[in-house]
Amino acid sequence: MTEALDQLKQFTNSIHTLSASEWAAFEAIWQPFEAKRKTVITTSGEVEKHLYFVMEGVQRAYYLTDNNKEATIVFTYPFSFSGVADSFLTQTPSKYYFETLTQSSFLKTSYQQVAGLMDQYPNFERMIRKATGFALMGALERQIELQCFSAEEKFTTLLKRSPHILTMIPHKYLASYMGIDAATFSKLLNSIRL
Amino acid sequence: MPAYNKTSLLAYLQQQTESYLHKAISEWQMIPHSKFALKPAAEKWSANECLQHLNSYGNYYLPAIEKAINLATKQTTGNNVFNAGWLGNYFTKLMLPTENGLVAKPMKSPKDHVPLTIAESHDVIAAFIEQQEKLLQLLSLSKKIDWNKTRVPISIATFIKLKLGDTFLFLIAHQYRHILQAEKALKTAGISNKPVTIFSLTHGTNN
Repeated sequence: MTEALDQLKQFTNSIHTLSASEWAAFEAIWQPFEAKRKTVITTSGEVEKHLYFVMEGVQRAYYLTDNNKEATIVFTYPFSFSGVADSFLTQTPSKYYFETLTQSSFLKTSYQQVAGLMDQYPNFERMIRKATGFALMGALERQIELQCFSAEEKFTTLLKRSPHILTMIPHKYLASYMGIDAATFSKLLNSIRL
Repeated sequence: MPAYNKTSLLAYLQQQTESYLHKAISEWQMIPHSKFALKPAAEKWSANECLQHLNSYGNYYLPAIEKAINLATKQTTGNNVFNAGWLGNYFTKLMLPTENGLVAKPMKSPKDHVPLTIAESHDVIAAFIEQQEKLLQLLSLSKKIDWNKTRVPISIATFIKLKLGDTFLFLIAHQYRHILQAEKALKTAGISNKPVTIFSLTHGTNN
């Protein structure tokens, strides 16, 4: 727990520095939480009531189409916030499922507690606003990748950003994230692994 | 017949399945088809064929187990013992390797489960991974189900039904058998590998 809170402190400080009393209030709202591989944590249609900070493992949010196809929207890994961000911030029903892809451990807190701190400390709300800004930046950058990159470019971008992920999770999730089919993914993998 | 503490047997089978899944994700996914589908000898199966064979069992057993779980009786509290049936125990024992880790009894696979064509290894491995994920979900769902009373028809003779606990034990021991075989084939193909967790039924046994 102490190590986890140290990681959380380092992470939030990289976004926006909190004062000692703000940090003390923030660190007090977290609890440890663990989940096995392939555990659905948040279901589509449900309002995201929790915010997570990933300590271990890989998770994803995915959208389930009408004909039961899964589209992977985002992966999360240590050390970062996790959960369904838009549903959490707006307290409206999630369009996505949030699940673990490997055994995972987190810190977990509730919307009530985060909202309470935002009401109490304007500087804390500033940290959350900046974090939201970075998340938006990431989402829009990914939009560019999806619309403008070739399959090869998507593949090399992912490999540069997170090479370890190839041996951590099933490749079907990576192909789904890039919006390419499994056969194309395996061709690309063949072209680089020799 | 052996009796098992259900809670520890379940944890053990989950851990065993995790170790197969881990191997497929961290090692096999990265192996090119040319090596994964290489036969060690003309009459021997490649790693790819071993997995095709396992997938054909999964194609039958996973939906059969899921159906049985959906129709099953809830476990009555206090009864946490799983008693292996004589036939189930016989099948499981048949699959298990000897103490030195070698496949115990060579045998012919039922013809419906012999791979006929060479499939693309990435498809075969992806299907295997999907099946292991499904198996983990079924194991976890079965926590509240009676493993003695719930029964699953066997693939080669659907009028014979095994206890749910025996079905899990047989299926996971059968996977172990062919994963060892696949590892041997990969070694011949020049791929060095880390061993999977050893399947040994001393764990969780009451007698």
